Amino acid sequence: MIKIKLTGALHAEMLQDLKRPHPFAAERVGFVTGRIGTLAGGQLILLTGYHAIPDHEYLKDHKVGARIGSEAITWAMQAAYHGRGKREGVFHIHLHGHRGQTGMSGTDSREIPPMISGFQSVGREAPHGIIILSLDHGSTWVWLPHNKEPVQAASVSVIGAPIGVFERSIK
Amino acid sequence: MPYPKEQTDELKGYCKKVSVLPEAGVEFLYLEELRLPVGCTPAVCDALLCPVAKDGYPSRLFFAAQVSSQFARNWNGTVRIGEKNWFAFSWKVDLVSPTLAQLLVAHLNGFAKEK
Amino acid sequence: MSPDRYSRQSFLGADAEERIARCTVAVLGLGGGGSHVVQQLAHIGFQNYIIYDGDHVEESNLNRLVGARAVDALAETPKLHLAKMMIYGLQPRARIQAFACKWQENPEPLRESQIVIGCVDTYKGREELEIACRRYLMHYIDIGMDVHGKQPPVIGGQVILSSPGGVCMRCMGFLTDEKLAQEAARYGDVGGRPQVIWPNGVLASTAVGLAVELVSNWTHKDRSHAYLVYDGNAGTVQDSHTLRKLKVNCDHYSSMNVGDPVLVEL
Repeated sequence: MIKIKLTGALHAEMLQDLKRPHPFAAERVGFVTGRIGTLAGGQLILLTGYHAIPDHEYLKDHKVGARIGSEAITWAMQAAYHGRGKREGVFHIHLHGHRGQTGMSGTDSREIPPMISGFQSVGREAPHGIIILSLDHGSTWVWLPHNKEPVQAASVSVIGAPIGVFERSIK
Repeated sequence: MPYPKEQTDELKGYCKKVSVLPEAGVEFLYLEELRLPVGCTPAVCDALLCPVAKDGYPSRLFFAAQVSSQFARNWNGTVRIGEKNWFAFSWKVDLVSPTLAQLLVAHLNGFAKEK
Repeated sequence: MSPDRYSRQSFLGADAEERIARCTVAVLGLGGGGSHVVQQLAHIGFQNYIIYDGDHVEESNLNRLVGARAVDALAETPKLHLAKMMIYGLQPRARIQAFACKWQENPEPLRESQIVIGCVDTYKGREELEIACRRYLMHYIDIGMDVHGKQPPVIGGQVILSSPGGVCMRCMGFLTDEKLAQEAARYGDVGGRPQVIWPNGVLASTAVGLAVELVSNWTHKDRSHAYLVYDGNAGTVQDSHTLRKLKVNCDHYSSMNVGDPVLVEL
């Protein structure tokens, strides 16, 4: 079982950035760092910081919502590398502009796993993954250290005022 | 502020490994498998050295287990640091500008002295 | 369950009932303060509980332990059992993780909660709990009361909210090195301190009010901290004067220092 937690301030920071329109990309993406906490019978991932990707680091590609360039990927790889000592990993994040639970798109399912493999190659002992927020919810898929397959988190908790608890519902 | 390297290197002579454990504004020194004075049981124990004033003590040495020794000690410091439970006995060390190793030895002397 | 059940608290917001039900709240200590807290949480509709207390009911508890009966003192009923009966009696579908020990002896379950309500006896205990709440991102609501002095005695108490990213109990002037040192010098012995039910009730109610505010945001205050001082002689609860000189940022906890501790080898 995996659960995610972040502060209200971090959640607000991410939403504020991800909601901004981009000059040509249909959506924005970012990177979030996160560390492990041990739970009884599972893991807690505690998100620690957000990196907004500058406008100029996006590439024009109308086949996808957003395409980021090598500079953005380099930042993420370096974050994974520098996070090794703290077991701090990197999570790709973007926002779906609807309400309710989110899911991975076909593009996400194709393109995220190779990115995660890259993060795992430099930050082996850290969790990495993808977070997809909606206007009032959030889902996270986590690749735990040494795992090739992701696990969807049971919940995402925003520890702010108000508290938000986004639970994974299994249909 | 990082501890002077020569002082932390000197600590390594007393244990297997020295690490820093930061928590709530204090940088504790984690001494893995610290060798305890003769007569102590266990003979080796993980320990945490707090070289700064905290909770009424100018410095303190915490142990991963309650250690029995030649003289009975007042084990009054059961605390939680770094998500582990630690034990300490009542022992105040009063040194002027000690090195970390001098501080450690002064705390370990608490096992060897009657008072 | 009848839709009328929570109709009188609809002012908390249209989705408040659902928000409250999804939240996990931990209550540490099920004595005079904690027993009140648990009762109120159950009435309001909280469904997910993590509770810790290793004690059983004694005769001297009966003046203030909510839910305890004379027979519970005779039977030495565990306080944990009383709390579970209280919760299940109002919320039959509640999910309760109950631990007959101090949280330090089994800390991992606590970390699932979003809110921790601490009804502990010592300053050291509060400091340790706050550290854990900052590491594992939990709102920490602390309550405590004491009776001191003579002619007349003075009843005092506090309710404190310490939230990740916000100011802490040290910033707010509640926890100090001096208090911790004095307590350590007494070997942490709190002894048989005077305790009565009505101040516990005031403090517990205030704490639960903070918890509901955090979940529902019905006041729209976006509260990041609180330090409320109870004067049991005047019958008042008000902001501590120490909040007047509050710094904006906490010097004691880094927002980066979360998760399981990581040792940095030298």
